[in-house]
Amino acid sequence: MNLLDKQTVYDVLEAAKASGAELAELFAERKSTEGMTMINGKVEKVLSGIDSGVGIRIINGGKVVYVYTNKTDRDELIKIARSASLTISGNRDNTVQTLSAMTIPNLCPAEIRISDIKKSEIANILRRGSQSAFNYDPLITQTAMGYASSEQKVLIANSEGLWAEDERVRTRASVSAVASSESEKQTGYFGPGAMKGFEFMRALDIEAIASDAARCAVTMLKADECPSGRFPVIIDNGFGGVIFHEACGHGLEAASVSKNASVFAGKLGQKIASEKVTAIDDGTIANSWGSISVDDEGHLPQKNILIENGILKGYMTDRFNGARMGAEATGSSRRESYKYVPVSRMTNTYIAAGNDSRDDIISSTKYGIYARHMGGGSVDPVSGDFNFAVNEAYIVRNGKICEPVRGATLIGKGSEVLLNIDMVSSDLKLAEGMCGASSGSIPVCVGQPMIRVSEMTVGGRG
Amino acid sequence: MDIVLFKEKLFKKALDEGFTKCELFYSSADSEDIKVYKGETEKYSVTNTGGFGFRGLYNGKMGYFFSEYISEEVIDTVIQNAMQNAELIETDDKEEIFSGSDKYEKVEHFNEALLNVSPEIKTRFALDMERFALEYDKRIIAVNSSIIDTVSGETYIANTSGLELSDKSNFALAYIDVIAEKDGEQIEKGEFKLAQSYDELNAKEIAEQAAKKALSALGASSVKSGEYDIIIQNEAFADILECFEGCFYGDNVRKGFSLLKDSIGKSIASETVTIADEPLLKGGFSSTPFDSEGVACYNKNVVENGELKLLLHNMTSAAAMGTTSTGNGFKASFKSTVGTNATNFYLKPGESDFTDLLTKLKDGLLITEVQGLHSGANKISGDFSLAAEGFLIKDGKIDRPVNQITVASNFYKILKSVKTVGTDLKFGISGVGSPSVHIEKVAVSGL
Repeated sequence: MNLLDKQTVYDVLEAAKASGAELAELFAERKSTEGMTMINGKVEKVLSGIDSGVGIRIINGGKVVYVYTNKTDRDELIKIARSASLTISGNRDNTVQTLSAMTIPNLCPAEIRISDIKKSEIANILRRGSQSAFNYDPLITQTAMGYASSEQKVLIANSEGLWAEDERVRTRASVSAVASSESEKQTGYFGPGAMKGFEFMRALDIEAIASDAARCAVTMLKADECPSGRFPVIIDNGFGGVIFHEACGHGLEAASVSKNASVFAGKLGQKIASEKVTAIDDGTIANSWGSISVDDEGHLPQKNILIENGILKGYMTDRFNGARMGAEATGSSRRESYKYVPVSRMTNTYIAAGNDSRDDIISSTKYGIYARHMGGGSVDPVSGDFNFAVNEAYIVRNGKICEPVRGATLIGKGSEVLLNIDMVSSDLKLAEGMCGASSGSIPVCVGQPMIRVSEMTVGGRG
Repeated sequence: MDIVLFKEKLFKKALDEGFTKCELFYSSADSEDIKVYKGETEKYSVTNTGGFGFRGLYNGKMGYFFSEYISEEVIDTVIQNAMQNAELIETDDKEEIFSGSDKYEKVEHFNEALLNVSPEIKTRFALDMERFALEYDKRIIAVNSSIIDTVSGETYIANTSGLELSDKSNFALAYIDVIAEKDGEQIEKGEFKLAQSYDELNAKEIAEQAAKKALSALGASSVKSGEYDIIIQNEAFADILECFEGCFYGDNVRKGFSLLKDSIGKSIASETVTIADEPLLKGGFSSTPFDSEGVACYNKNVVENGELKLLLHNMTSAAAMGTTSTGNGFKASFKSTVGTNATNFYLKPGESDFTDLLTKLKDGLLITEVQGLHSGANKISGDFSLAAEGFLIKDGKIDRPVNQITVASNFYKILKSVKTVGTDLKFGISGVGSPSVHIEKVAVSGL
């Protein structure tokens, strides 16, 4: 089951470019996925399968024509490409350059393939996690362990002669533990992943992760409701970086910026954050969950400085939206599958390490909230309004971390919260997540060191 | 390759290899999608996809495999993987392959005429929507997207127990996203309309609805933290209902992922609350004659005047709880295993119109939108704390727009504190619907 041959691809591109468009592009993929779900220590669901299809994109000025199909036979693809080209009247010549293979350094090699192992090994690893969560405390009443991996082969070719082939191997575990009292249930969750093969699962300390999830659930079960109001908020490292991802990252993506539909549009060179903030999107980190060896329109990934000491330095840009902004693509065009037009998205996005110490951040806070583990969130890129949930939170009183509180939600405006970051520690850490936007759901890392926001609206029931 | 021919070859090989029963679930979709920007077509997209999910009983356990690649050369891969996957299953659940219901109701949701609407007509429509929004008020400074899609889908289920069903449906979706600006503040709001006939779509109406939403939200500010009586507007309450729909799934109840254990026949909501699941609803976007297991669908009340009448079941959860499937055994797609899902799931309208609701509320908040349901809601405990926006209501009238607040409560608790249900039933894009509801004493945090 090979992806398409060169002659077929060339002929399809030629058909797509027949009406003189600027660019014709073909994206073909075949993806094998494996998934397993274990509830309370028993395997409940095992699912595997194959995604397969082709997307053809034609760009002419401000217009995009996109067609996709599962059909992979030559005549059908040529027919689809030809009818797509008829909706464009371009003034470029209709030749397609000779396709020549691009050299792509493999930033994320996978050592062990799913076909190399017995699937019962997955169940054995998950079972160890489930056992560890149950052993943590009798209050743990349910566990849900999950495994998901994929091997995605892609081919990206275009009328400028691009021929890029890549294979992305990703592996992720998910660990949830539910603690129950008579009337309450609280969940602790972690979802570690990497752009690696099965070696990731073998190296994973699933017992420790599961018992931490259990600890989080039990702590929250016993916690009082979070008070509401405006307080200083200390956000811990790792998944705490979701604040930057939501509050700022989405607003720096070209899809919003190019249409002036972002609070950060037109602000290059201006101060948009406290001088303590330097923020980076880096798709080149070896084997990291959000990395890519090549992006989905054939650019190599880069380390992009977004904000440097508070000054806006750059956006994340794809080819189509970049043209509208007069900016070069930044190697971060991504799509969930052949069903999506690629746009610039985040890869591994983080606030860089600062000079404050964790101890100083906590001891200098008289009263506030310490958000140890963040949940997910969302943002309206036009207004910058964001919200996110805190999975594990504590009250900070007189410089000490005190009692746990649950049900906290943080809300605010991205533009304001960035200016209100008044302390940044040095303990940078990344964490894995999935990010949904116009080009689908893609793996990303968020990250940061521990930071403090001088004042934020905290929503709770207490 | 032809799906029926493929099925026959696949079943023959599967039975030869030791599967006792097996099933093929195939679905396909065709769509045409037009998006305009600044008076020109920005994106034109045509799609055609399909794929199958295979499941089969091997040593009494169900093994699954899916593929979008449909060809004879994939048959061995399907069978080998489904076998391995079956062997790993450890639950005691008995998942069955169904031979069929006695009778299936007819659901008319395919409109041939929709296929004949040309791309030119649709482009004109999207351009009209954009223009109407911009002309509505000069504070509407941009239309981020103006989109019209037409989508047709087909489902085919066949198994070795004699079941063979198919269904096809189509619809059109119009969507617009506008940006309003005043004194440097920008607000983006959208509006959509799903329809089964092109004539039901009115470009002006959709555009003006979106424009009104954005304009009315300009100049919003927060309110003082405290306990408020609130009205949650139809679309926002439909979003909340959708988020907690899983509380009513038998499968979640038996596994302890819902708090409705042993609650059938008991009062779980105020008497004004009746929640229905109606797969045969005329014009419903989730209407369907059968579920993904081939069980016939029927209309029912899940909650009636506050009392829990039943839980939604697939065949497996029903068998485990000693009842029968309610025809809610759905796969999220051909790639999925059978789970549970509601169809047209909605809170039945009451008798107070919107003005009435505001008058009865007198002083409080009207919540028009909640955000963060995917993260700020605990689907098991029912707790939520959500970013919200809306309006401050004084003496039964809208006083000013409100944003930067959170609304925190618990789903089970608000079901019990619904005071009045409105008449303005509206279905969200997800297929879950609700009228506006008046709820007492909810914690709101702001300033």
